[in-house]
Amino acid sequence: MLIKRSDGRAAKQRLASVYQGLSSGGMDRRGFLKQAGVAGAGLAALSTLAPRMAEAAPSGAMGVINHQQPVQRIKNICTHCSVGCTVTAEVQNGVWVGQEPTWESPINRGTHCAKGAAVRELVGGERRLKYPMKLVNGRWQRLSWDVAIQEIADKMIDIRARTGSDSIFWLGSAKFSNEGAYLFRKFAAMWGTNNVDHQARICHSTTVAGVANTWGYGAQTNSYNDIRNSKTMIIMGGNPAEAHPVSLQHVLAGKEKNRANLIVIDPRYTRTAAHATEYVRIRPGTDIPVIWGILWHIFENGWEDKEFIRQRVYGMDDVRREVAKWNPAEVERVTGVPGAQLRRVAEMFAKERPSTLIWCMGATQKTVGTANVRAFSILLLATGNVGGEGNGANIFRGHCNVQGASDFGLDVATLPAYYGIDETAWRHWARVWGETFESMRARFDSPQMMHTPGIPTTRYFDAATMPVNPETGLAQRSNYKGMIVFGHGGNTVTRMPDAVKGLEALELLVVADPHPTTFAVLSGRRDNTYLLPIATQFECSGSRTASNRSVQWGSKIVDPIFESRTDYRVMYHLAEALDRAAERRNMPIRFREPMFRYIEVRDGEPVPESILREINRGAWGTGYTGISPERLKLHMQHQDKFDIVTLRARDDAPPEIRGDYYGLPWPCWGTPEMRHPGTHILYNTNLHVKEGGGTFRARFGVERNGETLLAEGSYSKGSDIRDGYPEFTVAVLKRLGWYDELTAAEKAVIAEIGQGLGGEDRVSWMTDLSGGIVRVALEHGCSPFGNAKARANAWNLPDPIPVHREPIYTPRTDLLAQYPTLPDRRGFRLPHLGQSIQARSHQLVRDFPLILSTGRLVEYEGGGEETRSNKWLAELQQDMFVEINPRDAAARNIRDGQWVWVRGPENNARVRVKAMVTERVGPGVVWMPFHFAGWFMGEDQRRKYPQGTDPIVLGESANAVTTYGYDPVTYMQETKVTLCQVVAA
Amino acid sequence: MRALRFLLLALALGISAPALAQEGTPRGVVSAEELEAATMRQGGMISGRVTLPDQAAANLIQPAGQAWRDFHNRTLTWVGGVAILGMLGVLVVFYLTRGRIRVEGGLSGRTIPRFNLLERANHWMVATSFIILGLTGLNLTFGRFLLLPLVGPETFTAISEAGKIAHNYLSFPFTLGIVLMLLLWVKDNIPNRLDIEWFKQGGGLIGKGHPDSKRFNGGQKMVFWLTILGGGAVAVSGYLLIFPLQGTTVADMQLAHTVHALVGVLMIAAMLAHIYIGSIGMEGAFDAMGSGQVDLNWAKEHHNLWTQEQLAAGRVSGIPGAEAKPAE
Amino acid sequence: MARLKFLCDSDRCIECNACVTACKNEHEVPWGINRRRVVTINDGRPGERSISMACMHCTDAPCAAVCPVSCFYTTADGVVLHDKDLCIGCGYCFYACPFGAPQYPRLGNFGGRGKMDKCTYCAGGPQEDNTRVEYTQYGSNRLAEGKLPICAEMCSTKALLAGDGEIIASIYRERVQTRGYGSGAWGWRTAYRTTVGA
Repeated sequence: MLIKRSDGRAAKQRLASVYQGLSSGGMDRRGFLKQAGVAGAGLAALSTLAPRMAEAAPSGAMGVINHQQPVQRIKNICTHCSVGCTVTAEVQNGVWVGQEPTWESPINRGTHCAKGAAVRELVGGERRLKYPMKLVNGRWQRLSWDVAIQEIADKMIDIRARTGSDSIFWLGSAKFSNEGAYLFRKFAAMWGTNNVDHQARICHSTTVAGVANTWGYGAQTNSYNDIRNSKTMIIMGGNPAEAHPVSLQHVLAGKEKNRANLIVIDPRYTRTAAHATEYVRIRPGTDIPVIWGILWHIFENGWEDKEFIRQRVYGMDDVRREVAKWNPAEVERVTGVPGAQLRRVAEMFAKERPSTLIWCMGATQKTVGTANVRAFSILLLATGNVGGEGNGANIFRGHCNVQGASDFGLDVATLPAYYGIDETAWRHWARVWGETFESMRARFDSPQMMHTPGIPTTRYFDAATMPVNPETGLAQRSNYKGMIVFGHGGNTVTRMPDAVKGLEALELLVVADPHPTTFAVLSGRRDNTYLLPIATQFECSGSRTASNRSVQWGSKIVDPIFESRTDYRVMYHLAEALDRAAERRNMPIRFREPMFRYIEVRDGEPVPESILREINRGAWGTGYTGISPERLKLHMQHQDKFDIVTLRARDDAPPEIRGDYYGLPWPCWGTPEMRHPGTHILYNTNLHVKEGGGTFRARFGVERNGETLLAEGSYSKGSDIRDGYPEFTVAVLKRLGWYDELTAAEKAVIAEIGQGLGGEDRVSWMTDLSGGIVRVALEHGCSPFGNAKARANAWNLPDPIPVHREPIYTPRTDLLAQYPTLPDRRGFRLPHLGQSIQARSHQLVRDFPLILSTGRLVEYEGGGEETRSNKWLAELQQDMFVEINPRDAAARNIRDGQWVWVRGPENNARVRVKAMVTERVGPGVVWMPFHFAGWFMGEDQRRKYPQGTDPIVLGESANAVTTYGYDPVTYMQETKVTLCQVVAA
Repeated sequence: MRALRFLLLALALGISAPALAQEGTPRGVVSAEELEAATMRQGGMISGRVTLPDQAAANLIQPAGQAWRDFHNRTLTWVGGVAILGMLGVLVVFYLTRGRIRVEGGLSGRTIPRFNLLERANHWMVATSFIILGLTGLNLTFGRFLLLPLVGPETFTAISEAGKIAHNYLSFPFTLGIVLMLLLWVKDNIPNRLDIEWFKQGGGLIGKGHPDSKRFNGGQKMVFWLTILGGGAVAVSGYLLIFPLQGTTVADMQLAHTVHALVGVLMIAAMLAHIYIGSIGMEGAFDAMGSGQVDLNWAKEHHNLWTQEQLAAGRVSGIPGAEAKPAE
Repeated sequence: MARLKFLCDSDRCIECNACVTACKNEHEVPWGINRRRVVTINDGRPGERSISMACMHCTDAPCAAVCPVSCFYTTADGVVLHDKDLCIGCGYCFYACPFGAPQYPRLGNFGGRGKMDKCTYCAGGPQEDNTRVEYTQYGSNRLAEGKLPICAEMCSTKALLAGDGEIIASIYRERVQTRGYGSGAWGWRTAYRTTVGA
């Protein structure tokens, strides 16, 4: 019986011919229409449908969208993971009223995950921080922006005057736009400290260190889309089905189309593993033995790519010696994986090529994180699986702009674009900023500190509490006294009980974030704590770099809600306020002028386009120079013109983007005018450098112990040098006889730069602000950064060839004598304990017999404050839990859904969570998601949030029970292997 | 070249297929269609894990819904229809053949108290709520066929909505009354030897003469226990339905509804007979629940043993002389 | 005329819940009402499959068959809708539905559960298309705009297919042919008395 009170049904039936059989399956709406044979008419109809319907329906306004009013469609990028999904917002009267699929995006093709499909709620903002607040005697008080910023500035200058510039920690964010990240790094430089960091420290810092030390750049070599070309994929230490759901679209498409092998190597039977053709369960913390176990079969059977190794790899013989120790029996003893299974994996990976290795934080968040990444890279090199379609190191990064924020130097050891912090680097960026090297040096506590890596975010609380002593304690002038946090959760770092003490020791804590974050409630602070409401990236414009190095321009969807302000504006405001504070104290330091000298500021709001242009002028090292805001906006406008597999703009694209790779994945060489298309696949010798081809980067000299480090007989297509070559400098140009191909203007710029560097011959492709050196190299088909071998042996690392080292907290104490962790050492201004802590395992394992690992849920992200405040997401995960195997649960009388305590071996730490009894984890292993906070060791802290800003869902933080343990190269924290006990609550 | 590749592929498959067969594919083989067919055959549900707290959401497919639908749309309609219409038919036939059962000795003019105010009030509370509960309940099954075409969808929804609310809230007086009835009358309703005899003689309805009876005869005891047990069953099952999924599953609720509906229609049928005999079916019967005073002759005929007790206790009222015949 | 159906390819579904939040976002579905949900069977074991489930818009819909007030109707495209102005919230459709689709705003509340709510296939309700009153009661009406249900449109791996039954079945069959495996179409036997076919 049809009860229809209007003629709406008639309209529906008219439309039925249009939507009949429309399907999002396997193709987009457009593709479908094409198949259905109604392409022309159908498309036209679709684009004009909404207004026509509006005319047909004379009634009043709609609940969300008023179909009678025009709808503005604005494209931005999802602010969650690094896949870079385009979000299409429907805006009416400045209100974000609807969200539509973005069919034309080559990355997500209309789709989203739970988070992306719920982002509109972020600017609905029920639980957002609404105005600046500060803690006064333990109570939150509202205050104005002007007062808040000036109070903060006064306190910062006061701290600086008393204890020096290094006593303030600048914690930036992977949620910044590229422009915000760059500005923040510049701010820290102007403040005179290297104590600046962001989330990359705790997600892929070891990846960056590991792969950069292998072949040049710390980034994903290929792209999500390119995985469609793979015939064998290994996903190891990653769960992209939950962490990067939209990437699975490409993974599964590749798996289906090529009938590819999808091998998941993980301690946990994840949602990703559920789609594997081969699942390998390993003991947590044994990645290197597993990789060496695979390589053992490859070397044993001669399946390695000998020609690739000869031409493009240095030191593989040293690897062979290490791998020889890992025969199947030893691998099974250490990892638990049967030899036959690894042989099968080895054969697939080596023979059914192209093969790609995908990894994530299961590999990186380890005391051996850098070594893991190195081992992965070596497996790729040994099988010739780098630098081509369908192969490579597909490193899935975490946050929406963690790649960009890394690229722009939110890091304790580098300036923007990985220039490092040596004198050359400082001179380069000082020149870009219109400062002198000397004036920059004067901002530091001492000239030496300018070149000393700062203290990473994994240890900030140690820097706040540890006694100052260059030999045994903190090696800088003073402890941390202040901390400026932009866009970062307080529950993302291990050892939270220690973090509480560190936070309480600080004189000043500033949290600038759309939400109060865990920092606001974790400690017992009662004063000198400020919360600044920051706009999300949907409320401002700017570019962000996806994991595959594609840069996408997001346009502001709505104005910042409530009193929130953009990162740009707050930084500008703070610079001004610091100037006033310094002036009052007669301190000579100034901020606004040096920071914004070349940056356009409109009504107190720095213009992101103008910041990106400054980046374009300086970031030669990563080839961000060709990525102009204009080009990026054109790409966003014509997203539909890019091929979904190659990411290249097709022939029907407008001439100004034709042939470009989507988002100009860096390196995008030269100036924007040179129209370099970007580099879809790094180190791809099958293409001309001008077409996105390349070679391994010559970063470590030209020879070692008499052996060449340059490529032998391998070069990119069309190269005038048909062999390896070093990175381009003026000296190299002169030796090649190409120096005079530089223009007079270029020569003049180079000569001037040369004065600071001890002669123009030393000016390199990275420091040449004229771009002449890069231009000439490209003209000759050469990579500006040289053509070297990738290093299987990275002699500058603690373990030049990765070796297995047991986790610091391990239940396998029988292996400690043979595979100990590194001895205690120092790094990043702090002591770094290794064997002295590991020795505790012998006693601990009796009381803490279970391995604790942590990871991610699809509904939440990072510290989770933002996503747990989103009602559409929060409903789907309402309780913090621990996964425990039925066997371990039965032994402890624990039922599914029951409350349990998880106890850790440090600080008497314990958390109250719900048990999830599941075979996802094997016996002896438990797993917790890391997104929860707001409960701490059994205490509900909801009342400590400013009223109305508490996230909907609170829970215990996994990091309350995680423990000591750091990667020696980057101080990455160990979150994947520690010990614990679970008891019924 | 292509042939070679094909050969290689075949070789690769030849090598890998047995290996896979030995290990078993890690994804396992799952067939939606077979699983569904099996669940339909064997009952139960296809369930899994959901992150939502509402564990009912973890049921993916429950074919039992089909069985319930069949019950509701077919079985219940038939059972209800047959029981109610059948009972009405029987009563009509009975009335036509037997007519109104008269008090054989005629009315004496003397009465004895049969039910006190509390008993009568409680009876009428149960009776009223039962009638409304019955009608609103029947409406949910038969209303769409009988009433909806007459009054139209909007009115019908208004009626049904009010009916549903009435049904839910009248459950309380109904349940309370059932409990009271149990307390008030259970002592007189314990089945005994007399009841067997009473039933043997057809309760005097069919044959001639009146079997011995105390306060309640066998037929009345049957009504009593039907009311108590049936009423209890509809009350319990009804409350389970009013509080959905509070400690119950969909399957429990389907069962609860089935019990509720079946017992409900059977009670309605039984109560039709009760109403008949208590009103037009028998002279003098209504007074018991009307004024609470019954005619002595009626009492002697239908509840001889009880009447003797009452007389012995001197509970009779009215003029003794008006009595036509002495008691046996 | 099309016969609109849903098909969840469980060999693609990764339980990312995009379908769930997209639905919430599109229709402003309140907390506690889940027009769509994802269920994972054999969780954590080989044979694990996740399936996104909502109202399947059955042929001969059980909800419509048992509704005491006949508030359901099937559109010309096979979408099963209901009129909330007629619904009395009795819960019968919930007992009969094989897929747990009907939801009630006040589950467990004595006396009345409120009007039943369920997936509308993004086709609104009996009110005039794309009006405020329609939106408030049923959510947006994408079909009237020439769009398909948002859950399927936004599905991260394109596991959830929506559209004409014949066409999505053929897309699915093509996929199975390409990749060599497929668990079949969940709920089709129950909802449509047919299988997706090989």
